[in-house]
Amino acid sequence: MQRNPYLPLPMKLVKNFTETEDKLIHTFTFQFLSEEDEKSFPYMPGQFAEICVFGKGEAPFGIASSPTEPGFLKFSVAKVGLVSTALHMMEEGTMVGIRGPLGNYYPLEQLKGKNIVIIGGGFAFTTLRSMITYMLKPEHRGDYGKLTVIYGARNPGLLLYKEELEEWNGRSDIDLVCTIDRPVDGWTGRVGFVPTVTKEVAPSSENSVAIICGPPVMIKFTMPELEACGFKPDQIIMSLENRMKCGIGMCGRCNVGNKYVCKDGPVFTKAELNQLPNEY
Amino acid sequence: MIIAKNALPGLLDKLVAEYEVYAPVKQGTYSLYKQICNGAEADFGYVNSKIPPKGILFPQSEKLYSYSVTGEGTNLEECIDNRKKVVFGIRPCDVKGLLLMDNVFNNDKFQDPYYLTRRANTILVGMACNNPAGTCFCTSMGSGPFDQSGLDLMLADVGEAYVVEALSQKGKDLVAELALGAADSTQKDAAARAKEAAEVTCVVNTEGLKAKLDVNFYDSIWEKFHEKCLGCAACTYSCPTCHCFDIVDEAKDCNGCRVRNWDSCMFPLFTLHGSGHNPRTSGKERMRQRIMHKFKYFVDNFNAPACVGCGRCIKNCPVNLDVREILADIRGSEARSDK
Amino acid sequence: MQKLASAIQDVAKKLLEENKVDLVVGFAGGSLPLRSTPCFIRNSEEAAKLTWDYSCENNLANYLRKREGKVAVVAKGCDVRSIVALIGENQINRDNLYIIGIPCSGMVDRLKVDEAVEGKDLLAAEEKADALVLKCKGFEKEVKLDELMHDTCKVCRYGNPVVYDMIIGDAVPARPEDNFADVAAFEALSPADRKAALAAEFSKCIRCYACRNACPMCYCTECFVDCSSPEWVKKSTDVTDNIMFQAGRVFHSAGRCADCGACDRACPMGINLRGMTRKMVKEVKDLFGHETGVSLEEKPALSTFTADDPEPFLVKE
Repeated sequence: MQRNPYLPLPMKLVKNFTETEDKLIHTFTFQFLSEEDEKSFPYMPGQFAEICVFGKGEAPFGIASSPTEPGFLKFSVAKVGLVSTALHMMEEGTMVGIRGPLGNYYPLEQLKGKNIVIIGGGFAFTTLRSMITYMLKPEHRGDYGKLTVIYGARNPGLLLYKEELEEWNGRSDIDLVCTIDRPVDGWTGRVGFVPTVTKEVAPSSENSVAIICGPPVMIKFTMPELEACGFKPDQIIMSLENRMKCGIGMCGRCNVGNKYVCKDGPVFTKAELNQLPNEY
Repeated sequence: MIIAKNALPGLLDKLVAEYEVYAPVKQGTYSLYKQICNGAEADFGYVNSKIPPKGILFPQSEKLYSYSVTGEGTNLEECIDNRKKVVFGIRPCDVKGLLLMDNVFNNDKFQDPYYLTRRANTILVGMACNNPAGTCFCTSMGSGPFDQSGLDLMLADVGEAYVVEALSQKGKDLVAELALGAADSTQKDAAARAKEAAEVTCVVNTEGLKAKLDVNFYDSIWEKFHEKCLGCAACTYSCPTCHCFDIVDEAKDCNGCRVRNWDSCMFPLFTLHGSGHNPRTSGKERMRQRIMHKFKYFVDNFNAPACVGCGRCIKNCPVNLDVREILADIRGSEARSDK
Repeated sequence: MQKLASAIQDVAKKLLEENKVDLVVGFAGGSLPLRSTPCFIRNSEEAAKLTWDYSCENNLANYLRKREGKVAVVAKGCDVRSIVALIGENQINRDNLYIIGIPCSGMVDRLKVDEAVEGKDLLAAEEKADALVLKCKGFEKEVKLDELMHDTCKVCRYGNPVVYDMIIGDAVPARPEDNFADVAAFEALSPADRKAALAAEFSKCIRCYACRNACPMCYCTECFVDCSSPEWVKKSTDVTDNIMFQAGRVFHSAGRCADCGACDRACPMGINLRGMTRKMVKEVKDLFGHETGVSLEEKPALSTFTADDPEPFLVKE
């Protein structure tokens, strides 16, 4: 029998960073305790892990770091309940358990040779950071065509990974479009909701794949814009969220139709989702 | 082989010395599978237990591991139960339930060591049903009163004794261990006659059911099924194939354990997101999920419905919500497939 | 009983035809012998489904909270007490509820029926004057209704609905005062024996919450057992947690419980829940002289304060 999938890997919190201006999202960096531990956690962009706060509980979070960033794992967590609150208050140096990697991942093999359009909203940008970081690595960048990123948040303070965004802005091999909902003093970038900006950017669907991650309302209105640009359901990739516990497809909680979001997802193509009931 | 009824308590005592033995025990007006300390505790005057014996392999509350976090590091201790067990007198429908649950706990990507270790260390001694209840519809769900699937041994009641058949290597080994005598031809004939006579009167026609469920997710038929449902877990906890669970911490500061407990898709909190969003906001969605999971999704994934026709949900439901009626309604309906 | 059923059907049909109500909540025949099931009738053709017999055990007040439109309900005496209590808590609007009161001398206890036929399949139950003939494969047994009646019904003094828009059926005779002998027997036990008795009952609990969900008065959007911050009660079936859950529920129902027995009947494991609920009912009666839901004018006992409320918790020097 393989390793017990319920046992977490102990990891140390080395950075508890307040990511957003409203302080509701923190980014946590956890360090592997040994090289052996790191080898036991081979992950790909798109996957998630269950962060186990001893004494409080576990919760699933998308992995924001890329496997090309060795030695640690990064997660961005919004404060909504028992586990996330405990994480937000956690002192650096505290031990946690990380269970994973879980779920499937962005189909990087199938994306080779294609133009990639990444659309993210709010704090759903976590696994997208993982993928973009992975793709921008010199040894990978050549595998993919044009890389367009549209990332929107309500206001500048709520954008995640500001350091990375600045770095990407300066690069020529990625076309980054950040946008905020309403004009704010000091913001010289785009203003407009993500669906509107998508329409304006009008990415070409020729030999392209779109990856979209965000709150349900953003997805609802962005999807038609992508379709208008000619993206077919098998050219659109989404990452779903659902309430989870075991993360391994046994506790029965996270299913959408006959698929478990934790085990068969969280990454699905629109074509696959069209086969499933609209219950997520 | 044969076991005389008056020899059974002694035989169970022998087993108790070596295994954890679970057998039906009377509790007031009903029976439950409990661990017995001596053979006299077992009572085989039952049609079936109130709740299924799945709790022997998949306990309602189970410690997964304990932990303590100190200055030196984190200490995790797995709590895997590898003690040898015998479930004596399990009915064919409940064994079918275990066979179906095997698909869940050993899926295409992961294996659950807690369930699978117990499963591997458990001998299943079946008791064929001479007198199925009026609420039993096992024959409609791929099982039957004398169905041998998944059993290590099968006992058939022939009056003064049980005729025993070994069905697996584990079963053969146990028969040898117990040094059972051979059955004579009258007894074997009696067993064959009992099998003939065992009648499951309730038939649930499932023809076309899956085809309807494949297309009727958005149909208005789901408006009516849930109205009297209380949203409790009586049906799910009574079901041999229901496997949903919750995982929680029970701890004082950084010392404690991670525990899993049965949970139910019928509870509103089951799918509630941290954000407050709930994909299944009302009883309608939850009832639809229950039926869809059992009679479509499980079939999609494992080619069999997650129902063994034991009838416990029908008997235990406080408002007499009857799954057979729901299935008949769905089969007979004109399904609308548009979203 | 068949006469009552016909009368109920006629009334329901008329109410729907005349658009006096949008919905009639009543009982239909169950899928098993001697069982009924709650049903929701929205058009007059379906009114023929309504029935009435000794198996109409559920408390239909449970389905009446916060409803839109006009609703009629077929209600026994105990159901009406719950309805009155719910009206007092603003969960039901009296003006939008049409109560079809049915004087009730009691409903059978499914566990007692099961015991009477020794767990065999019941195939049919025939009504006689004061008995039921229970028919099984190969035998039948006539049992007096008294012996099959649920213990709740045996001490019920409000079989005649206290509030109604119409009554179908003859009034039922009054029963003697409830002496709470069952509660007194529990109170006579030492604390250690009480603990053992409770542990014996609640080791059977599977935390299915059928009791809570069957109770018309349990309607919190977040039940205390589901709260994780703080976690008042663990979710496992530890017997202490089982007892704490039920005790919490009983305390939350203090002064609101109509002693209808719905919880006790709903429990699939046959736990004696009335042992706890009746203790609370007795406490409320002793302390405040209050019985839940017997008058629309009376306010809930624990929601009102009078200067001469008993204060047994005060310890005087």
